[in-house]
Amino acid sequence: MELAAFASFAVLVVAWLIAPTKAEVVHIKTVKKAAQAEAA
Amino acid sequence: MENINAGDTAWLLASAALVMLMTPALGFFYGGLVRRKNVLATIMHSFFILCLISVQWVLWGYSLAFGPDHGGLIGGLDWLSLRGVGQTPNPDYAPTVPHLGFMVFQMMFAVITPALITGAFAERKRFKAFVVFTLLWATFVYDPVAHWVWGSGGWLKTLGTLDFAGGTVVHITSGVSALVAALVLGRRKGLGLEPIEPHDATMTVLGASLLWFGWFGFNAGSAINAGGLAANAFVVTNTAAAMAALTWMTVSWLHKGAPSVLGAAAGAVAGLVAITPASGYVDVSAAILIGLGAGTFCYVGIQLTKRLRVDDALDVFGVHGVDGMWGALATGLFATVAVNSGAADGLFFGNPAQLGVQAIAVLASVTYSAVMTFVILKLIDVFVGLRVPEEEEVLGLDASQHREAAYTI
Repeated sequence: MELAAFASFAVLVVAWLIAPTKAEVVHIKTVKKAAQAEAA
Repeated sequence: MENINAGDTAWLLASAALVMLMTPALGFFYGGLVRRKNVLATIMHSFFILCLISVQWVLWGYSLAFGPDHGGLIGGLDWLSLRGVGQTPNPDYAPTVPHLGFMVFQMMFAVITPALITGAFAERKRFKAFVVFTLLWATFVYDPVAHWVWGSGGWLKTLGTLDFAGGTVVHITSGVSALVAALVLGRRKGLGLEPIEPHDATMTVLGASLLWFGWFGFNAGSAINAGGLAANAFVVTNTAAAMAALTWMTVSWLHKGAPSVLGAAAGAVAGLVAITPASGYVDVSAAILIGLGAGTFCYVGIQLTKRLRVDDALDVFGVHGVDGMWGALATGLFATVAVNSGAADGLFFGNPAQLGVQAIAVLASVTYSAVMTFVILKLIDVFVGLRVPEEEEVLGLDASQHREAAYTI
């Protein structure tokens, strides 16, 4: 069980290294939309 | 009185205070996730339940849950208004602590459980309906299930179910009831047509952090003594919460391209849920694996719920239902008498029967809470009405239900 615990943590560390760095900026889009609606 | 242990009593009373803090913390956790027009109403759900169940519990709730057994199903009415519940310890529940101390510790569990459900019907439920629902649900769902699992003579306790701090009693009952409530109430107006986003993520992270803090009382306090078992529960609780937060953040990062802050907060809560039933029976390696499963299963469960277009507004079923079940079953996998000599081994330690017992407890609590919640909601819909009118929902519950506003800027 100790081995599985170490392995699972290692998997996470590897995932952080290969994870993508770009993302859809959902919140900022919404904030912009709200600001435009308010200005209108 | 000579049996009372000062250390045990001090730890249990401190734990009761820690668990008490969890309910307002839940209010902030949920409050940050709703739109600003509903934040006061959402926080009020938790705060009101703290008051309501505090009174219900001393009047009849504790007696139904922990009173003298009737057929393994329910406690008797012998302890109504705490008659006979005093400073002398009850050897069945807490032999070294005043009975009143054990009662108030359990009260805080009874308080937070219905508060968990409120996340499913956020932003659309009438306050009056919520009040009636909470009182009926606590009496007809929480109190009986608490007796089954923890009450002296309860049928699941007699069967050998391991639930250290409430995986079945607290999280499965509330998570499943939340799913039923979401289905019965229906979706929020505008969902899918307009952005419905958390109005204050900082409030949610603060709420999650306070929940984590209070959870040490929830799990380590459930040892009912200030000893090694409490220390074990404390350590595995922290480990599983951390591992689940890391896992959820990682899965969401791989799936959606960014390490979500709200995801890390929700992941921590998911880990805390999953370790709850196991915390007095498993070691730290098992806690890491339970946390890994919690973050993964919960994330997948929530994606599935959304795909099925069920508006469980604040993901109560995903977090508490799915991980409540995972935690209960994981207890049947990882439990070991090396941690708790008074319990039983799980599947991985040579006792596959324990997994079967845990599965029976899961099935019983899922079925009972789903059916009873459905009946209670339908009755309330007929006599009181569950949802606010559409124009009040658009206006927001802070204004329509409470005539107040959270923010003046």
